[in-house]
Amino acid sequence: MSAVLLLLRKDLRVLRRSPLLLGALVAYPIVIALLVGLVAGYASAKPRVAFVDDDNLPQVIAVGGHRFHIQTVIDDVAKQVTLVRLSDAEAARELADGKVVATITVPPGFLGDLETTVVSPHLVLETGTGGLAPRVTQQVQALVYQLNLELQTGYIDANLAFVKLLLNGGRGTFVGKHFDVLGLERTAQELRALPPSKRRDAIANFVRQAREGLAQTGTALRATANPITLQQAKSHGRTWLLSAQVQSYGIAVTVTFLALLLAAGATAAERDEGTIGRLRRGLVSLGQLVWSKVALAAVVGVVLGAAIAVVFGIVVDVGGVTGGEPWSRLPLLLLGVLLAAGAVGAAGTLLGALAREARTASLLAVLLVLPVVFLGLVPRAALPVAYWVSLFLPFAHAVRLFGAALYDTSPWHRVGIEALWLAGIGAVSWTLARLGARTLSA
Amino acid sequence: MSAPLLRALRVARRYRDVVALAPTDLELNPGETVALVGPNGAGKSTLLAILAGALDPSEGTVETNARVGWVPQRPAHYAKLSPRENLELFAQLEGARDARGRATRMLERFALPTDARPSGELSVGNRQRLNVAIALLGEPRVLLLDEPTAALDPGQRRRVWEVADALRADGGAVCFATQNLEEIEHANRTIVLQDGQVATLTVDEVFG
Repeated sequence: MSAVLLLLRKDLRVLRRSPLLLGALVAYPIVIALLVGLVAGYASAKPRVAFVDDDNLPQVIAVGGHRFHIQTVIDDVAKQVTLVRLSDAEAARELADGKVVATITVPPGFLGDLETTVVSPHLVLETGTGGLAPRVTQQVQALVYQLNLELQTGYIDANLAFVKLLLNGGRGTFVGKHFDVLGLERTAQELRALPPSKRRDAIANFVRQAREGLAQTGTALRATANPITLQQAKSHGRTWLLSAQVQSYGIAVTVTFLALLLAAGATAAERDEGTIGRLRRGLVSLGQLVWSKVALAAVVGVVLGAAIAVVFGIVVDVGGVTGGEPWSRLPLLLLGVLLAAGAVGAAGTLLGALAREARTASLLAVLLVLPVVFLGLVPRAALPVAYWVSLFLPFAHAVRLFGAALYDTSPWHRVGIEALWLAGIGAVSWTLARLGARTLSA
Repeated sequence: MSAPLLRALRVARRYRDVVALAPTDLELNPGETVALVGPNGAGKSTLLAILAGALDPSEGTVETNARVGWVPQRPAHYAKLSPRENLELFAQLEGARDARGRATRMLERFALPTDARPSGELSVGNRQRLNVAIALLGEPRVLLLDEPTAALDPGQRRRVWEVADALRADGGAVCFATQNLEEIEHANRTIVLQDGQVATLTVDEVFG
C-alpha cells in the first residue's frame, strides 16, 4: 500500500476515534440538510391564513350579471396560501398563537360595494409578528390580484352594460336608482325625423362619432384591466431552481468548512505528535504527505456531501417539495464535491503547515472560512472587488459547479469551467502546501 | 579501518539569527557507541535530528548508506492509535513485508500492551518504549537515541542498553544524547556539546 494510502487510512482511523469530532461531522451535514430542507420546504409551502367573513357573504354572488361561487373562486385563486374560515375571535386567537400567519377579514358592506361595481370594496389584512409577515403580505397581495382578475370580467361586463345602455337605450339601474335612457341609436333616429339644419347635422355627426367610439369600449376596457400580462417562459432547469441553489450552498459551505479544518488540523497534528520527524526521514516525501491530507479532505468531503444530498433528498421527498431531488445527479455532484474538497484540502494543508500547531491551524481555518464563504456570496454588481477575489478561492466555483450539476439540463459546459477553476486553484494550493510543508520538521 | 556507517560534514542549523548548532563534523563507525553530552540547549537533539534526516541542516551534508533508526527525545507516535497499530503503520512505511509479524515481535520485545488502548493513554514509560520500538522497526544499522532512558525505570533502561549494545556488537553504530553521566559508560567515545558547538571542555568541566 502506498504511503499516501497508509497515512490516509491512519487519519481516517484517528478521525473515527475522536468521538466529539466525529459526532460533529455526522451531525453537521444532517443539521445543514435539515435547515436547507426547511428553507426549501418553507419556500414552497402554503402558509395558513385565517379568512374572517364579517359580511356574511352568500355562497353565490352576482357581479355585472356574472355569478361567482365564493368558495370556488377562493379555491381557484388561493394558490399561495391555505385559507381557513374562522370567526373573528378564533382568528385573533390563532394569529396570536402563531397557528395562522395572517387574517383576511371581509368587513361589513363588502358585498354591497362589490355589487355596485363603482366602488372598490376592501379587505382587511392583519399579519403576525416575525419574519414571515413580509412574505405573507406579498402572498395576500397575490391573492387579491388573482381575485381581481376573476372579478374584473364581471366589472367590465357591468360597465359595458352601461355603455350598451348609452348606445341602445332602455331602462337602467345605477346605485339603486332606476332611469330610462334614450340611447344613441334612437337619438340618431329622432334626429333624422327633424327638419334639416346645420345644428341637426352637427348633433347627428356627434352621435355618429360617439357610437363609433363607444363600440370600441369593450376592447379598451379589457386592455385597461390588463395593460401588461406576464407570460412565464419555460424553465431551462431540470429541477426547481431554489432547492438546487440551497442544496449547492449547503454542500459548499459544509465541504469548505470541513475540508479546510480537517486538512489544516491533520497536517499540523503531525508536528504536534512529533511524527513529522519520523515521516520525513525518507518514509514519506513531502508531496506524499500533502497528497494524504488532500485525500483526507476529499474523502470526508465526498462522504459528507453524499450524506447531505441524501438527507436533503429524503427531506424533499417526504416533505413533498416540488423538484430538487438530487438522486439522478448524485454521481456528478459527488465528482464535483471530490474536486472541491480536494482543492480546499490543499489550501487547508498549506494552512496547517504554516500554522505548525493543530490548535492554531483549526482556529485559523475557522476564521478564514467565513470570509471565504461570504466573498463567494457577494453579487458581482454589489462589490466587484469581492467577486474578483472570490474567483481565486474555491467556494464560489464549488457553489456554481454543484448548482450546475443539480440544476442545469445540460450541465457539462458550466461543470467543465468550474472544474477547471477548482483544479487550477487546487494545483496552486498543492504547490504552495508542498513548499510550506518544508517548514514542518522535528 | 572500515568505512564509517554515517558521516556528517559541517552540519549546522540556524533559526534566523539563533545558532542551534554550529558547523559540526561527526563520523559513526561500525562497532562504535558515541555519547553526546551537554547541558540543555547545547544542540544534542538538533544534531541527532539532522543525522536522522528528520531536520534539514542549514548547511552541511549527512552521508550514509546504512539504515538509520531514530528515537526522538519526545515520544513520536499517533496518540489515537494503539501500540500495535502504530508499529504496524511505521513497519509498512518502512516497507516491511510482514508488518504485522514485525509489530508483534516488537510488542513482545518491549513488553508493550497488546490491547486496543490508544497509545496516548499509556504510561510515560510505555510510551518511551514504544518510541524505541518504532525506531527499531526498520532493522537499523545506525541507532540514534535522544535521551532514551529519561522516563524509564531501571529494568527498562537495562533493556534499552541491551538493544544498543547488541547492535554495536553486531557491527552497527549507536549515538545517544544524555545528561545522565552514568550512561557515558555505554559509550566508547564521548562528544561534549555546549552552546551549539563541540566543546573542548571535559564532561566534568561542562557539568561542574
